[in-house]
Amino acid sequence: MSSPDLILETHSLRRRFVTRKPLLGPPVEVRAVDGIDLRIRRGETFAIVGESGCGKSTLARMLVRLIEPSEGTVLFENRNITSLRGEDMRAMRRDLQFIFQDPFASLNPRMTVGALIEEPLRAHGLGGPDERRTRVAELLERVGLLPQHADRYPHEFSGGQRQRIGIARALACAPKLVIADEPVSALDVSIQAQVVNLLQDLKDEFALTLIIIAHDLAVIRHMADRVGVMYLGQLVEVADTDTLFTRPRHPYTEALISAIPVPRVGGPPPGPGLQGEPPNPIAPPAGCRFHPRCPYATAICRSTPPSLVPQASGASVACHRASELVLQGLRDTGTGRSPAAEQRFALYRAMRAQREGSNPSVSQHPDPEI
Amino acid sequence: MLRGARMTDRAPLLQISDLSIRFAGVPGNLVDGISLTLNAGETLCIVGESGCGKSLSALALMGLLPMPPAKRMSGQAIFEGQDLFDLPLETLKDIRGNRMAMIFQEPMTSLNPAIKVGEQIAEAVRRHKGATREEARDRALEMLRRVRIPAPEKRLDEYPHQMSGGMRQRAMIAMAMANDPALLIADEPTTALDVTVQAQVLDLMRRLQRETNAALILITHDLGVVAEMADTVMVMYAGRIVEAGPVRQVFEDPQHPYTIGLMSSMPDLGPRGGRLVTIPGVVPPADAMPEGCRFAARCPFAGPDCAIAPPLRDLGGRHRVACWRAPLECGAPDLIAQGVAT
Ligand SMILES: Nc1ncnc2c1ncn2[C@@H]1O[C@H](COP(=O)(O)OP(=O)(O)O)[C@@H](O)[C@H]1O
Ligand SMILES: Nc1ncnc2c1ncn2[C@@H]1O[C@H](COP(=O)(O)OP(=O)(O)O)[C@@H](O)[C@H]1O
Ligand code: SF4
Ligand code: SF4
Ligand SMILES: [Mg+2]
Ligand SMILES: [Mg+2]
Repeated sequence: MSSPDLILETHSLRRRFVTRKPLLGPPVEVRAVDGIDLRIRRGETFAIVGESGCGKSTLARMLVRLIEPSEGTVLFENRNITSLRGEDMRAMRRDLQFIFQDPFASLNPRMTVGALIEEPLRAHGLGGPDERRTRVAELLERVGLLPQHADRYPHEFSGGQRQRIGIARALACAPKLVIADEPVSALDVSIQAQVVNLLQDLKDEFALTLIIIAHDLAVIRHMADRVGVMYLGQLVEVADTDTLFTRPRHPYTEALISAIPVPRVGGPPPGPGLQGEPPNPIAPPAGCRFHPRCPYATAICRSTPPSLVPQASGASVACHRASELVLQGLRDTGTGRSPAAEQRFALYRAMRAQREGSNPSVSQHPDPEI
Repeated sequence: MLRGARMTDRAPLLQISDLSIRFAGVPGNLVDGISLTLNAGETLCIVGESGCGKSLSALALMGLLPMPPAKRMSGQAIFEGQDLFDLPLETLKDIRGNRMAMIFQEPMTSLNPAIKVGEQIAEAVRRHKGATREEARDRALEMLRRVRIPAPEKRLDEYPHQMSGGMRQRAMIAMAMANDPALLIADEPTTALDVTVQAQVLDLMRRLQRETNAALILITHDLGVVAEMADTVMVMYAGRIVEAGPVRQVFEDPQHPYTIGLMSSMPDLGPRGGRLVTIPGVVPPADAMPEGCRFAARCPFAGPDCAIAPPLRDLGGRHRVACWRAPLECGAPDLIAQGVAT
């Protein structure tokens, strides 16, 4: 098997935070990310999923050095970015861009939208003033806004529009890899769909590699090629999206999938699912960190931590019982929607296409509000 | 002969008619002509994007809207035979937290950070049921047990901040259900929770509802939650009901273009498809609501007739739709003729 073209790798990546310094004794630390080995393939969309507090944002930020690791390395195109300095570091920043969940918090409120999008171009010395202005106008149009929006301020825009601004800014320098931390989590369903489509279009257009963090498993199922499942600072399963959803191999993945509310009427009511909440990362359980909540735990799980091992299926799983357990994937995939609903969707699509010309892409559709 | 008796048996628990709410300084109604019926033991889900008036409607029902600036322009809400909008404040306070209760996305909206959880629940019981301190504390313990809080004896004496988010959510539910209300209103109770904890909380609400036969109004923006929980569903857009009815009918025979757009905007859980079909644009701002159909600017079916607001019509079987094109196959005959919709 030829080895895939890797754009980004991490080796034993760790990050600890000191949460409290008692007068006596050692400081209290939380191991937010605790030994992650990622291998991201060029051109793929890789999703990271897990309950809140499991270390997704800390991991994502270390990948672009918004946070420094405590231990381990991040290799971008085979270069260790954790030791880059000066000019090399600036060049790396151009290739690696970050999209935040709350674009408003990440955008300077006193800068116009145009200046915000132009800033990375200027920082990297790309183009003269006129070229940069043209580029800003192009980017605004590309993300579904209007060139004249360049003169406005972030607070004049809705949540979905701000996310478009954040995306335009991230794309300004034509990066190779974009990391998006919960980019659609705060948006309403209809706006979320617009941004999901936009991200997918831009990924193809700019030949990006995309790492997306989300807790909405339906969004992940729709967007990702591969998925990494995190639990308490560690990866517990990495697999192709289809494989992961239909044949999960880790009990935690099974639990996450069974908890998705499925938008179909009449299926068997879901059970209570996984009990308890994630334990405190300050004092993670011994052995397998999932064992206090795992319905399949045995003696070895309480004493020995499992490591992430490649399986015959191509997935990697950190579970002592991975090869023997038969786990449940998505309920209810086969049934589909009712014929009447399908007909209604077809009608809706056709009407939209008819009104807007051939391409029913909303990313071309400036918001009428402004 | 027994008609009278039977009719009272079947009188709905709650009947809202023509509820409209306005805010000082905002020209249009933010809630515009809401009507609904709810029976004992039934779950109604209200779904719609943020700002469409879900919380305002619920708060109005509980008498919790600040008036002014809010003003009720019209409407009745008959609950257990009384019009909630026409009661002295004292009577309403007797009903609130007793016959009807509300829970929120953020548990600290209901919980007092300075008082032990057990005491807060006991106090709610004493206020309405005239129980002794001891009885009230026993009831608080029983409620913590029923919402499956581990080590409930210990938790009685904890403050809210000593509990995890999911635990606080349970404590809030325990308090709301302590007096066996006939109606529970839950405003996005699981929106901030992880899917795993959301599943636990939904399961808990289903179980408590089975045990007590309470009616539930569940506000959510997640169609998955609607499908799992609802008997009936009400889709709101920009302050109005656009579609409502038994959940199966609405999901399997959606009629309003907004409902259809919302459903097709959701990533399907089936094998990966192409692009999502979206709803273009955004909700009109509150101070620029169109006179006619409020969805018109985003609607692919819109025509000149949509400049007049469509009434909410019953298509049969309590399936109500506010769209001039409904039923859709009759309303868009040219496309059917082109074979698009077959
Ligand atoms: N700056 C920080 N200081 C202290 N603890 C932190 C800091 N950032 C994150 N943490 C802790 O690290 C853990 C992982 O957090 P985070 O990466 O934000 O998780 P996620 O994004 O999956 O919700 C949590 O327990 C969080 O409280
Ligand atoms: N105090 C207020 N003053 C003016 N407008 C308000 C106030 N509270 C809510 N609104 C407006 O009323 C509309 C409905 O709000 P709400 O019921 O909270 O929506 P939802 O719960 O569906 O997200 C929104 O447009 C909101 O901006
Ligand atoms: S190692 Fe044991 S406890 Fe951990 S997931 Fe596997 S079966 Fe469960
Ligand atoms: S009334 Fe007109 S604008 Fe409103 S939903 Fe129906 S077709 Fe669309
Ligand atoms: Mg995060
Ligand atoms: Mg609300």
